Amino acid sequence: MYIELRTPDERLRGPKAVDAAPVLASALHAVRDTPSVDLSRLRVVCDWIQYKQNFRDAVGLRLVEPWPLEAARVSRNGGGVDTERAAWEIAIDLRRAGEGLDENLREVLSGANGSKRVALEPWGPGSRSLIWGFNALYWKALLLWEQSTGRGYEQALPGGESDARNVAAARELILELFVVWDRLAARRALPEELHVLELGVGNGNQARVWLDEFRRLDAEMGREYYRRLHYLMGDYSPHVLDLARKAVAQHGEKVSSLVLDAMRPTETLGFLRYKAFLVYISNVYDNLPTDEIARIGGHLYQVQVRAAVPRLAAEHIAAGFSGVSPEDLPDLVGRLLRLGPELLAEALADRFAKPGDAVAFWRAVWDAVRLDERYIPLEALDTYDVAPGVSGELLRPIALSAGDVRMHVSNGAAASFTDTLPLLHPLGVLQCHDLFVTDILQYTNNFRGPGKYDGSVVNWVNGPLLAAIGSRRGFDVSFQPFAHRTGANVLTMTARSRD
Amino acid sequence: MPKTATRASRETVAATPAKTLLATSVVGSYSVPEWLERLKTDYYQRRISRAYLQEIHEVAIKAALKDQERAGVDVVSDGELRRDNDVDYLLARIPGVEIPHLAKTFYYDYYDAYVRNPLPVDDASASLNLVDDLSFTRDYTDRPVKFSITGPFSLSRRVKNEAYSDPADLVMAFAHVLNREVRALAEAGAAVLQVDEPFLAGYPEQVELAVRAINTVYEGVEGPIKAVHVCYGNRYSRPVWEGNYDFLFPAILEARIDQLVLEFARKGYDDLELFKRYPTPFLLGLGVIDVKSLSLEPPDLVASRVKRALQVLPVDRLTVNPDCGLRHVPPDVARAKLEAMSQGTALVRQDVLGHAETRD
Repeated sequence: MYIELRTPDERLRGPKAVDAAPVLASALHAVRDTPSVDLSRLRVVCDWIQYKQNFRDAVGLRLVEPWPLEAARVSRNGGGVDTERAAWEIAIDLRRAGEGLDENLREVLSGANGSKRVALEPWGPGSRSLIWGFNALYWKALLLWEQSTGRGYEQALPGGESDARNVAAARELILELFVVWDRLAARRALPEELHVLELGVGNGNQARVWLDEFRRLDAEMGREYYRRLHYLMGDYSPHVLDLARKAVAQHGEKVSSLVLDAMRPTETLGFLRYKAFLVYISNVYDNLPTDEIARIGGHLYQVQVRAAVPRLAAEHIAAGFSGVSPEDLPDLVGRLLRLGPELLAEALADRFAKPGDAVAFWRAVWDAVRLDERYIPLEALDTYDVAPGVSGELLRPIALSAGDVRMHVSNGAAASFTDTLPLLHPLGVLQCHDLFVTDILQYTNNFRGPGKYDGSVVNWVNGPLLAAIGSRRGFDVSFQPFAHRTGANVLTMTARSRD
Repeated sequence: MPKTATRASRETVAATPAKTLLATSVVGSYSVPEWLERLKTDYYQRRISRAYLQEIHEVAIKAALKDQERAGVDVVSDGELRRDNDVDYLLARIPGVEIPHLAKTFYYDYYDAYVRNPLPVDDASASLNLVDDLSFTRDYTDRPVKFSITGPFSLSRRVKNEAYSDPADLVMAFAHVLNREVRALAEAGAAVLQVDEPFLAGYPEQVELAVRAINTVYEGVEGPIKAVHVCYGNRYSRPVWEGNYDFLFPAILEARIDQLVLEFARKGYDDLELFKRYPTPFLLGLGVIDVKSLSLEPPDLVASRVKRALQVLPVDRLTVNPDCGLRHVPPDVARAKLEAMSQGTALVRQDVLGHAETRD
């Protein structure tokens, strides 16, 4: 039996520490009382899940499918079928483990909790889970969500506002650009248009601060760069883009705004290839789909997930809408994610009299949705795509560098990063503020997602993977604490051409 | 021992490219599949031996030659598949260049290289052993072989110079070292020798120095076509500079070379005007394939690009090639791009000659 505490130091010692001993004792008692469990194939993993809204129950059970070679060896020796060789993982959230833990553990180990859930989708990799449909819907129908909750999305961020509004940070970047442009101008190689791209513009405050400061510095230094500047704002949400356009209205002709998918920027911005001197990205990557992989006993596994709603919650939701039963939830959720709340209310007026009812349904399901998990062997990394053009082989040295570990693949961030780099001018720079893991060992001492932020999903981004992707494309990628606000989890990732 | 062509047939084919109308060629490097990258990296992390890696390279080179032949390329190369990158493969062999750490995280990374004392340029016995690479290639193809080396200016940009107070002296020292090697390669039957200057576009004010060094590299070399390739960079499939070829002229006219191999497909063909403006005596190696794009150029497009160049230069002054090396292009795309290049060129030959003159 293997026990792992993936917990920050301050939760194990010091004033904020929890007493993990009773939790571990409960786990040991539970397996003592369940003789059918093969202890040699049992793992107990305790996380401290800092997100109050998340996708986990306090206790869960995960299947670890046997690796084919192990299964074949057992079969040759007259052993049982694969499932009998499977291992199991008990997952406990230390923050919520207290009440009813013994009962939860017994229930989980007996397999009795499986029937107490309404599955919303089949098993699959995390990046393809319908939780990302919820996430996309949140940004598409943000206005309806905000009207329903009564607060703007930026208020849902941990600090109440984005780090993007910082004037000192903007000034630093602008002055760096001026140095590059001065150099190019001296060689008569400065393009007529100077392109700057912001992906994920939020409400436009960053763009406004940046452009105001740019214009001020340009006037002060007499460079005439503002005249040549073309600031492009790209965002997935038309509503957010509308807000951003209003915020930068006074820079009118200098700014263009485009609805685009952050994971495929070149589909919209192909004309910008090798032309962007600055690509600025703030709090986007942590909100893009991701798989997780795990190394267990030296073997690599993919974490497969299945969105589900606990039956009690499903019954509660169903009771709130006429003609809805718990069994209807998978279909209704599918329709909600395809149509959005307004069209759903139109299509199913008997169940959702007005769009507000459909939004209430959306919020209720979102609040209740959980992710069941299991581990499936990941045999050939070269057949696993991290992102278009990025083979899973890139993961090998990273996954093998830290012993047994479970980590995010950050597929969406990897896709976005990979597809953004070609937009950079040879002297261009990409700067990104986000939640980054910078050392794979950080996955072993803290929970890195997924969590729920308002109606969206958040995961910490696999920094070493992005650094490896950048490196294979000729970029140096570095991570620094966000220099202009202390105590923030946000880091600044910078990518610029090497050699 | 490999099955070899006879000496006589080698000498015959070595003279062919100058006679083939609109001869097609590669610039140098060929597609490096991901599995090969992994194995190369394994070598630089000491997980496989040099002997293993050499066998792997030999198999890969044979396959690359076959790909080029099947695609109808007239002048082929070994795809530079033995090389870790364009610079280190040479630097690591040049006496006097110090490389303190020979292991790499990724095979393609550049070494930190130092020149702490003047290079021993007068050591006539020093060899970079590139002739072995050429001989192997010639043993496995009947086609004329191009052999490329990175030029002295670009090599000098990748070393930390602690020996020469004037950086130009380091460039010229590299030129002298390369001259010996280039003479040996000419003797060994290279049909085309090519000096690559991938960093030159980033230092346009240094063209005169680069040309002087190129002339030293080619001093006394007779027989092969003497080519120079200048592009805007292709490391990791990215340009290192954006601009135009104005900077090359008129300094490049002083180069004692036969062919200038340039990038056009990605950036457009406006710079062909330079060949109207200046009386260039060289062949032009016309880039017709964008190696930074995975999109396939249809043969018609290739043909139109060649025809546009024919409005500026006579047919016997033009050869056809990709913009740069195909190292970063996946194998299937690289094959298809070369096929399109050959087919497009054949269409033009048919127009010009009234019949297709192709190898396949």
